[in-house]
This record gives sequence, C-alpha cells and structure tokens, in this order.
Amino acid sequence: MLLLLPQALVDGIMIGGVFITIAIGFSLAFGVMHIIDLAVGEWIMLGAFLGLYLNQWTNIEPFIFLPVVFVVFGLIGYYVQPVIFRVVSGKKGNPLLMGLVFTFGLALIFKGAGLTIFGFYSHSIPSVFSKGSFSIELGNFFLTIPVIRFMGLSYAIIITIMLQYLLKKTDFGLAARALAQNREASGLMGINPKKTSSYVYAIYVGISAMTGVLIGCIFTLSAQMGFKYTVFSFFVVVLAGMGYMSGVPWAAFLLGLVQSIFLIYFNPGYTLLALFVILYGVLLISPKGLFGRGW
Amino acid sequence: MMRHRNILWFIGIFVGLLVVPLIYSDPFFIRIITEAFMWIGLAITWDVIGGYAGRVNFGHGVFFGIGAYVTAILMTKGGWLFTLTLPMAGLGAGLVALVVGFPTLRLMGAYFAIAMWSLALAFQQLALLLNITGGPDGMRMPAFLNPAFFFYIMLCTVAASFALLWYLMERAPFGLKVGSIREDESGAMALGLNPTKIKIQAFVLSAVPAGMIGGIYAYWISYINPASVLGDIITDQAIVMAVFGGLGTLIGPAIGALIVFAFKTLFWAYLSSYQVLYLIILGAVIAATVVFLPNGIWGTYLTYRKSKPLGSVIYKSVEGDNEHA
Repeated sequence: MLLLLPQALVDGIMIGGVFITIAIGFSLAFGVMHIIDLAVGEWIMLGAFLGLYLNQWTNIEPFIFLPVVFVVFGLIGYYVQPVIFRVVSGKKGNPLLMGLVFTFGLALIFKGAGLTIFGFYSHSIPSVFSKGSFSIELGNFFLTIPVIRFMGLSYAIIITIMLQYLLKKTDFGLAARALAQNREASGLMGINPKKTSSYVYAIYVGISAMTGVLIGCIFTLSAQMGFKYTVFSFFVVVLAGMGYMSGVPWAAFLLGLVQSIFLIYFNPGYTLLALFVILYGVLLISPKGLFGRGW
Repeated sequence: MMRHRNILWFIGIFVGLLVVPLIYSDPFFIRIITEAFMWIGLAITWDVIGGYAGRVNFGHGVFFGIGAYVTAILMTKGGWLFTLTLPMAGLGAGLVALVVGFPTLRLMGAYFAIAMWSLALAFQQLALLLNITGGPDGMRMPAFLNPAFFFYIMLCTVAASFALLWYLMERAPFGLKVGSIREDESGAMALGLNPTKIKIQAFVLSAVPAGMIGGIYAYWISYINPASVLGDIITDQAIVMAVFGGLGTLIGPAIGALIVFAFKTLFWAYLSSYQVLYLIILGAVIAATVVFLPNGIWGTYLTYRKSKPLGSVIYKSVEGDNEHA
C-alpha cells in the first residue's frame, strides 16, 4: 500500500496543475465582476472540442494551436461580458442573483449545444507527448510520470507566471486589481470598468478554453464533462478563498491529491462525495478559505 | 375584502380540480395533469429560497431525489405503508436542508449556490454507488395503478404547500422577515433579526414539500434511478419555471411551471428526436428572461397593471392587494 504513496502524490500534483489555470482565471473574473460564472465547465468543454476539431482537421500537435484557441474564446468572452455586465449592474430585481441565473442559462445553452453538435461520445485529443513517460526505479521504489502530464504541469506554471506578471507588473493588471478592490473608487481614478472587465473576462474564458484542450489531451473530453469541471473550479476557488489568487495553487494541488488518492486507494466514484465533504467542512470552519484571506 | 377574494379564487380552483377526474378520467390526461401539479409544487418551493429569500438553489432536485429514495427504500426494504413514508420523505429532505443550510446560508449567496451545485453532483454519485439505492439500476416498487389516487394526493400536497407558503410568505410576519433579509441583510440584523436562522427556516420550508413530492413521484412512477430523480434536469426546469414566471411571488412560478411544462410535453411529443435542443431552449428562455424581463411574466404583468392607474408607483407584488385602485 505504502509503495504507491509517492506515485499518488506525484500524480496528484500533476493533475492539480491543470486545475490551477482554470481556477486562477475563475478567481480573477470573480474578483473583478463579483459574480460566479456557472458556465466555467462549459467553456472548458467548448474549448476542448475546438481543440479536437482543429486537431482532426489539420493534424497539427494540439500544444501548438493553444494560442489559437485562446484568441477565439477570448474574442467570444469579450463580446459576452457586456451582457453579463448589464445584468449584474441592472437596477431591477436582485442583480447578483440575476447574474448567477444568467450564467446558469448560458451553461444550459452551451451544454445543450454541445450535446446537439458533438453527441454523447467521449473523445481524446492525440498528442505527440501522449505516449512516452519517465520512470524512476530504485529497488522497491518506483515512479512513473507520463510526459503529457508533465507538459500539463509545465503549461500551468507558465500560464500562472504570465498571469502574475500581467496582474502585478502592468498598468492593465493594476487597473484590474483596483477594480476588484473598489469599483466606484477605481472609476474615479480613470479606470474604465466596462473595458477592463471585458478584458478580464476574455482572458478568463480564453484560459479556460485552452485548459480544456489540455484536459482533452490528458484525460478525455465529452459534451457532458462541463458540470464536473464546474464543481472542481468551485472547490478550488472556495478552498483558496474567493478572490484570493495566491491560495489557488495550493487548493488545486489538494484537489489533485484527493483525486489521485481516491483513484489509487479507494473507489474513484467517491471522489465527488469526498470533495463535497471537504468543501462543507471548510465552509463550516473557515468560510474564507484555507488561508482566511477570501471574501 | 381582497384577501377573501384571493382565498375564494384558490378554493374555487382547488374544488374545480377535485372534480376533474370524475368528469374526464382518461388515464393519459390525468397523468399529464398530475405531472403539471408536480412541477408547480417544485417551482413554488424553489421560489421560497430563490425568490423570497434571494438565494439561488442549484440543487433543488436533491430534495426531490431524497424524497423519492426514502420512499422507495422504506417501502421495498422496510415494508412501510405509503401513508407513513410520505412524511418520512419530507423529513429526510428537511434534515438534509438543515444540515447543508447551516454552514452555507450564513455566508454570502455565492457560497450557497456553489455548495448546492456540488451537493447535487455528490448525491448523484452516492445514489450510483450505494447498494441500498440499487446503484445505476435504480429501484423498482410495487406498482399501484390508480391514476386518480395519485392525482388527488399530488393535488392535495401541492395545494396544501401552496396555501401554507402563501400564508407564511404573504400574510404572516415570516414573509416580511424573509423579504427584509433579501433586501438588506445587515439592516435586518440591525433590527434584531437572526438572518441565518430565518434563511435556514425558509430553506427547510422549501425542502420539505419538495421531498414529499419526490416521494409521491416514486410511488406513482414505481421505478426510479439516479438519472430520473437526481438528474440536473429537475433542478434546471424548476429554476427556469420560477424565474420565467416571476421571482418572489407564488402565482408567478405556478404560471411559469404550467407554460414550461406544456411546452415540454408538446416538445417531447412532436420533437422527441431533438431532445437535447430542449436544454438550449431552456437556457435561452432563462437568459432572455433575466435580460429582458427580470421580474418574470407575472411580475411584468403586475407592474403593467399597477402602472396604468397609479402612474409609476411600483411596489413589491403582494398579489391582488391594490385592486381597489
């Protein structure tokens, strides 16, 4: 039993890496727009299918056209955001509630469209990295790291560093952070909240879609997968503390560890249940996330 | 005076529905009407937490499913009578609501939405894995083929829930408390209310009838599986019905339920090969409602009716209260 533990830990970190990117974008969008995007899993699904079709059409390595997916979905996000902005800043009814309901409607549309166009089958995107793996063997101790998962982790680290740079070192990042802190005051300082929110949402949608392609390479993709990844994103974001981005990597690694440990030691079907129990426990004890720094 | 008229309307419709099976007892017709009651029940109970308390519940189907499974397990494994399992179905759903509501309803609405969304998925998985629920094969129950019985029991349950919720939400102080928390939670707290407690009460109030409706559904259809009673589609439809009809009223979700259910029945009868299109239509309806009619069709109608004689005076719809104007 214990022999498999290092393997479980390494697997967990590799899987967790993938969730960092989704949750960072999600956390960013929440911080700036103050709404939970229930369509996050569906963006991942749509991105994954765009990757699949581009791959089938051109036969090019999926890692090469990740930027194309980013640009396509960034544009979609850029044009969807004003509608959400209008709903959330509306005067009628309860804007926050309406924002939730609106993104829920988006999620339903995307899911229905996905099932209609792509069907119910599972696919996977072939990549040159899918076959190989590094292995380490020292007597009783052994480890296997599939190259594709290693690439996934590298991708996650690169995206995270790029986002950190964007947020901490550029004027745009300063504007986005100011907007997240106080909408009115940042407007007085000459920040255009509509434009900045649109860019942030575009970046978030683009990153989610790119990560979808990666998930398609590492695991499988199907039109029904959105719901599951929405829950994973929620889990990571709540554990990290809503809107607190520095906590995201640790929460994502924890999610990966839970998944890999359940896969190796228990019935993987109980993973979602375990995630809910952890989520419930965190909300009960420390609702501001593991670090107490969230909203 | 007006209050009497509302009650008379309610009693009139209720009595009118009571005699329907005596006049026209075609089993298919009765079945459709029974299912329409079921959706009205789910939509109005969702609206208690979603519309009145302003907390979006993305896992309302969980209570329906718990009610169905509690009934099925007690009746097949325990040999209980249906009359005894019905309260147990409500109790089971209420207990789950209490336990889940306690940590999540103290926080801001987004946490509650996330927790219920995850809970729905967790319960689906649980029902698929446990032995007692029969896993993916579901559970089969002794069939009781009496459409009129289910018609009456569904009608009575939904009408009783409607009457109780109407009294609590529109007439009793409880409705005002819930409304004040929706509008301004810290303001309500400053007036000495305990928002968490009231929200949990409202949540349990919305869960118990949903569980009972689930219990009736299980015995009526006599076969349940995780996809049929815990699937996302139940919650999705309840939300669309309530939002489309009009949040924060009871009539609105009931009307929304009737329209969406009628559409669903026609759609599945004539276009069943395009089933997944239904999801797109549901999503488009709810997104369009949020953007163009945030008060739903009933809320828009009320605003329109009020704005004619009273200029632009808009106040929260206590249904039918200012008809003297």
